[in-house]
Amino acid sequence: MVILNNSELITVKKTELDRMKREAMKYTTISFVSIILFLVAWELLSRYGIIAENIFSRPSELFKTFIYKLSNKKPEGNTLVTHFFVSIRLALTGFAAAVIIGIPLGLFMGFFKAMRLYFMPIFEIIRPIPPIAWIPIIILLMGIGMAAKSFIIFVAAFVPCVINSYLGIQLTNPTLINVAKTFGASKWQIFTKVCIPASTQMVFAGVRVSLGSAWSALVAAELLASTSGLGYMIQMGRNFIRADIIIVGMLVIGASGALFASLLALAEKRIAPWRTK
Amino acid sequence: MKIMKKIIYILLPLLSVATIVLAWVLVAAPEESQMPGLAETGAKFIDVMTNKISGATLPIHILVSLRRVLMAVALAMVTGVVFGVLIGWSKLFKSLAYPIFEIIRPIPPIAWLPIIILSMGIGESPKIAIVFISAFMPIVINTFAGMRMIDPLLFDAAKTLGANKRQLFFNIAIPACTPAIVAGMKTSVSNGWMTVLAAEMIVARQGVGFLIVRGMQNGDPALIVVCMFAIGIVSALVSVGLTKIEGVLTKWKNA
Repeated sequence: MVILNNSELITVKKTELDRMKREAMKYTTISFVSIILFLVAWELLSRYGIIAENIFSRPSELFKTFIYKLSNKKPEGNTLVTHFFVSIRLALTGFAAAVIIGIPLGLFMGFFKAMRLYFMPIFEIIRPIPPIAWIPIIILLMGIGMAAKSFIIFVAAFVPCVINSYLGIQLTNPTLINVAKTFGASKWQIFTKVCIPASTQMVFAGVRVSLGSAWSALVAAELLASTSGLGYMIQMGRNFIRADIIIVGMLVIGASGALFASLLALAEKRIAPWRTK
Repeated sequence: MKIMKKIIYILLPLLSVATIVLAWVLVAAPEESQMPGLAETGAKFIDVMTNKISGATLPIHILVSLRRVLMAVALAMVTGVVFGVLIGWSKLFKSLAYPIFEIIRPIPPIAWLPIIILSMGIGESPKIAIVFISAFMPIVINTFAGMRMIDPLLFDAAKTLGANKRQLFFNIAIPACTPAIVAGMKTSVSNGWMTVLAAEMIVARQGVGFLIVRGMQNGDPALIVVCMFAIGIVSALVSVGLTKIEGVLTKWKNA
């Protein structure tokens, strides 16, 4: 057995750390090269007609379209920036309403038996219906305006918020509740001081799910019925057989979704720093 | 007092269901309301069960949709597990393929519809392709997470007992991430079911998604409501079935 003294141990750790750093560097480089190779291959394959250019427009073309669409309304009638803000506004309206109503409802349902007994059956009936299946009836009842679409997004985002907040309360460690009781906490104090903080992580997980589901419901709603928005833009791209517009739209939709998800993660770190590693 | 409480607790769920029915009746009550009444919906249900719309009764439409989901999910299972295991097992492969996957992942499957319809037309293959995309992502993500979260102790124990790399892979890594894979499969089936509806709503001649949009285009709200119920029931049944399957496949874990 080899016994190392302290300074030797530190150097061993250092070289080990160096090795790990170099390894990480190596793999990051590979990742970069891989993305670049992917784009170059795409560009070349489409340039030499091996993959159909009208379906998988080359990256250089996409970039041009992206720049063009930033300030031009052709062919479908609005600039990319307008589409983007229309979609964002819709998504945020529905999503915010779902969060503001859904989380408290879920928390109360988790804590108060009467609330649970009353609201749970309603949920069990509504929950299995995918948000997308609500679109036709909502359009028929409310038309295709802003209200109808935000309502569709609300439906999509509402259920995960409620369910997770509910579960978060239900899964609160009973020991915590008992400790609070031992120290003479009232029922309301247990709810606000123990159960709600304990359920934060679950609540945020629910909000994350509902954000994703809101974003995808938005695209569905805009594909089916709208006159502007990112979903409308890609649908029109299909009508005009402009693959470049579709792909630019898809990338913008994906990037905005990712952006919101990371903003949410930041918010979680601010609001509940004790739970995030 | 206690008995009072008990009675209230029994009454509340009933009250809850009554609220839904009442809300429905109230929305449907005005003459000009688009919302169909209970009787109208019931009649419509019997109608679509016996009469064909676009060449199929309601059960056939459901089966058509389910078949698409099943085929796409089967395909996604095979490719997704292989891909997920590869990126979980080999650092080189991960750094090659994962970044591209990460770029594509945030795009909602539904946003793929226009490009897929543009490139594949309106046959059966675009629907399968879109459902495949929606089912592929959760399987890959779960498989990958499962591979990463394997207890290192298991590997060390196996190595101590003289396992080679192949054995580590097949006898340790694969069984250890099975529960994660099965959980991914559950997500992917429900994703797939949702996506097939969207695809059928936009372009199809059969399937429940088609049927529900037919109701919208023909101004036939009763048909929409019947379809919503059918979709909800199928979703609930599928999720119960999957939980059963999950229990069977990961029995050893809970034993």
